[in-house]
Amino acid sequence: MQPARLRARLRAVLLVGVVALFVLSVPWYRAATPAGEEPARWLGLPDWVAVALLCYAAAALLNGAAWLLTDIEEGSDEGGEG
Amino acid sequence: MSLPTLGVIGLALYLVALVGVALVARRARRDLSPSDHFLAGRELGAFVLLLTLYATAYSGNSLLGYPGEAYRRGFSFVMATGFMMAIIVVFHALVPRLRPLAVRHRFVTPGDWVRHRFGEDAAARALRIAVALLMSVALANFLLAQLKAMGELTATVTGGWVPYAAGVIGLAGMILFYETLGGMRAVAWTDAAQGLLMLVGLGTLLAWLLGEAGGVAATVERIAALRPEALAVPDAAECANWFSTIALLGLASVVYPQAIQRVYAARSARSLRRALAVMTFMPLTTTLVVTLIGWAAIPRLQGLGTLEADSVMPRLLGEWAAVGPFVAVLAVLVFLGALAAIMSTADSVLLSLGSVIAEDVMGRPRQDPATTRLGKRIAGVVTVGAVVLALSEGLTLWGLLEVKLELLIQCVPAFLLALHWRRLGPAGCLAGLAAGTLFLAAAGALGVRRIGGLHAGVIGLAVNGAVAVAATGLGRLAAPRRAA
Repeated sequence: MQPARLRARLRAVLLVGVVALFVLSVPWYRAATPAGEEPARWLGLPDWVAVALLCYAAAALLNGAAWLLTDIEEGSDEGGEG
Repeated sequence: MSLPTLGVIGLALYLVALVGVALVARRARRDLSPSDHFLAGRELGAFVLLLTLYATAYSGNSLLGYPGEAYRRGFSFVMATGFMMAIIVVFHALVPRLRPLAVRHRFVTPGDWVRHRFGEDAAARALRIAVALLMSVALANFLLAQLKAMGELTATVTGGWVPYAAGVIGLAGMILFYETLGGMRAVAWTDAAQGLLMLVGLGTLLAWLLGEAGGVAATVERIAALRPEALAVPDAAECANWFSTIALLGLASVVYPQAIQRVYAARSARSLRRALAVMTFMPLTTTLVVTLIGWAAIPRLQGLGTLEADSVMPRLLGEWAAVGPFVAVLAVLVFLGALAAIMSTADSVLLSLGSVIAEDVMGRPRQDPATTRLGKRIAGVVTVGAVVLALSEGLTLWGLLEVKLELLIQCVPAFLLALHWRRLGPAGCLAGLAAGTLFLAAAGALGVRRIGGLHAGVIGLAVNGAVAVAATGLGRLAAPRRAA
């Protein structure tokens, strides 16, 4: 496979990973805390907050790598223009 | 020496430095063309580009509005780190396609892309003007939020020595002065210095707050005792709002005219790629820090009302400065960093507004020096209007931010959909934009801000996109019949 195509595929995989981390960061899969109870703590924070922050830290790493793999042409006239 | 005295001295020194930068930037200009004034001659390198993107993205909303919202909402505002990062993710859909076209066709404003993509027929002209008007209204709202934040911060830190109204009027005048004199160069150079000040200042303030409170775990413990509901796992509506806010910020922020113009202004694709790769980490060093500051304020400043919560940051600075003279100097540095961040966003907004109204709304030619002069005059008129509005209070900074983004997000199909879908026509795109904006206006008139946790603007965007696709499809079906 050509290096440019390999870079493009790797970039796509990284971006899929970023989107998955964003979906995981929102605690939609957790039951709401019953009144009078507290969620468990992790790293000193409510566990769902710590999970969200870890997801965002991992997303930053993947997205940063994806930008370094992004090919931006200088001055070519391509794309979705009509 | 007290904080108000130090605040006034620091403010005076900072304003003198800004005048110096404006004069140097004026000497560095090459000509009077809009490209040189509004895009700094397209010569921003990776480092300055990074800092100007950073200082522009992190504004009064970030430094005053976000701690206020974290104070009001509690831990669910951890979403802020995610939605600020989403902006740099969504840029993947814009930059690789728009940048090469911008370089080849010498775009100056967002409307140059719309003109290039959709042509010059009646529907395309109407679309370009509609996009420019929506952007202008959103930008004017954004400017208003910055002016309010500047006034509040200055009044608090100078102990009322510079009253709110004087802060708004005086600092708005200063922005207008250096932006008119030095254009994008003055804006980018001041942004770079302002970005560095902000990073250092925020980190120092957070270290003090957490040190005083005994660390993150102890802060959480005190919040749990005071407001246990702030720790609860969000319910379904709050989770929907979290997703909606990520979509709202991520999509709307990439069509900020000032962000698009920085994509145009980069010296090279390499500079742009590097700047964006580093920008993706900035939410962890800035948004997370201001969110933590808002949480730390919950036990320290109990009982603040909805509007008062926007002053969490200046109140904390006041408490911090009382510790001792050395710390008071640090507190003034944080104050200047915050003020600098707010001013850097306001100056970028003003610069973009002048160019968008002069070129895209009024149709002035993009290479004509007269367009530059007109853009400067427009910036002056808009500033006066925004100052008048900023002198009346009402909405929170977060509220102003949401209103702006919900309008701006209706422009997304004209950029992201148009870049990726060749068949999208101007009439379909215009119909979508009209449908989305009408939906938003109707929701606003009925007092509906959210439906099931989703922002009315995000639902409006779905309506907008669906109408744009349907109208384009219908137009293509009707075209062969007309031809026959």
